Amino acid sequence: MNKKLAEELELIFKDIEVSTPEDTMMEVRAHKEQVLTILGFLKDKGYNHLALISCVDWIEKAEFELVYILTPYLQNYEAYKEIGDIHLKIRIPRENPETGTVIPIFANAEPYEREIHELFGIKFAGHPRLTHLLLERDYAIPPFRKDFDTREYVKDVFDSIPPIKGEKK
Amino acid sequence: MKELELYFGPQHLGMVGNFSITLKVEGDRILEATSNPGYLHRGFEKLMEYRTWIQNFPLVCRINVVEPDHMEMVYAMAVEKLANIEVPERAHWIRSIYLELARVGSHLFGLWAYSNMLGFDTVAQWAMYHRDLILDLFEELTGGRVYHIYIWPGGVRRDFPDGFADKIVKTLHSIGKCVPDYDDTFFNNPLFYERAHDIGKITQEEAKEWGGVGQVLRATGVPYDIRKVEPYAAYDKVDFKIPTRKEGDAYSRVWVIRDELIESVYLIFKLLDKLPLGKVYNRVPNPFKWKVPKGEAYVRVESSRGELGLYMVSNGEDKPYRVHFRTPSYPHGLTILEKVLKGASIADVGNTMISLYVTAPEIDR
Repeated sequence: MNKKLAEELELIFKDIEVSTPEDTMMEVRAHKEQVLTILGFLKDKGYNHLALISCVDWIEKAEFELVYILTPYLQNYEAYKEIGDIHLKIRIPRENPETGTVIPIFANAEPYEREIHELFGIKFAGHPRLTHLLLERDYAIPPFRKDFDTREYVKDVFDSIPPIKGEKK
Repeated sequence: MKELELYFGPQHLGMVGNFSITLKVEGDRILEATSNPGYLHRGFEKLMEYRTWIQNFPLVCRINVVEPDHMEMVYAMAVEKLANIEVPERAHWIRSIYLELARVGSHLFGLWAYSNMLGFDTVAQWAMYHRDLILDLFEELTGGRVYHIYIWPGGVRRDFPDGFADKIVKTLHSIGKCVPDYDDTFFNNPLFYERAHDIGKITQEEAKEWGGVGQVLRATGVPYDIRKVEPYAAYDKVDFKIPTRKEGDAYSRVWVIRDELIESVYLIFKLLDKLPLGKVYNRVPNPFKWKVPKGEAYVRVESSRGELGLYMVSNGEDKPYRVHFRTPSYPHGLTILEKVLKGASIADVGNTMISLYVTAPEIDR
């Protein structure tokens, strides 16, 4: 694994945590203000493919965790073994969640951020179109948050449909 | 000329699948294209948080209707990684054979969609028939034609029935015999070249910049394939080629699909030749009480459309805490499609979309 890169990251960026939980995976925990510069730095170092931006709702800690997964474009396992993947993680509070967009670095982040905005209600400052992607309307609680109960929602919506005239309930 | 807004799909003759594109057009030229996914959004990832680890299998395989098998594989791999389950050697090999059969079936389906869209109805019928032969194999092996739930954490559900390997060889031979016919009527047909070359063209730099994987990237000359980069199942034990092309247009993407189909058939023969003996399944704990240890995993496989990943978080409970699929159609259908349609003509929308190998259920999930 890329030990030199880990040292370099810790040297350049203050206040970040770098660990290697797996042989081919490095985890970087940072603050939301650093995301754009760290991703730009890593892209120059060869981590040129953003595979996924995911979001986890840690409701007990009142935080959202955003995970940026970088899997470089390589051609064989020998090259991959040397540098591996990077998971960049940031935590933001659940109250008025907001962070900056990473579209200037990775153009394919656009739909991922749109989806997270829609399903978790996180705002991405600087995103050109935070409109609906998969859903057709707004919900009181964004549906992928942990406090949105699917079963309760289904009960509320479908039990309130009045029966057709003459049909026995 | 006047600018108009045109809704292309989901109810449109040129549209395969439940997907829609809003086009801003001036005459026949497209000024701007906006992808509208969501017609098949079933919220599977949320529903999976309410179901136990094993109960999720019927949901997982429905994420992509055309090739449910790679979805099963990536989910099983994530559970195995979180719970630290070993898979027997023979199961690895059977999984590879099974996934390659799925790739052949999926590519034939893709060939059906593409040739049908271009008006090559005969070729489309052949491809559909040949896919049906693959589905017959799946039916004999698993009992289901489209959704199989055959891969399981700890291996596969059952071993090959007697004489099954011979049946695979026989079926693939009967498909392989028709490759010259496919070539004569479709791939070497000047009409196909005329319709497809220079359509939806992207350069290698653009493909990488926009997150392209699979055929979209390989058609620009990059042999990027997860089976080589991070080998899973038995892919590191056999030798196979990654077909590439240079041009990066619809024509080269469809040729890459054809070459991959043939390479997969050869790969299945090689895997069958060396298939080891042994058990195919390591027991997992009682599924009703099974708690997977705390942790998170990102695993990926090469589906027939490109890099398919799964990010899964376990809270140490009997259900997953968070599931997120990274599907190859996502960057292709939402980022690249919008970019390449700019300046194209209306007649080429279906051509571009199907050559990018976009499937709607994979995007919506």
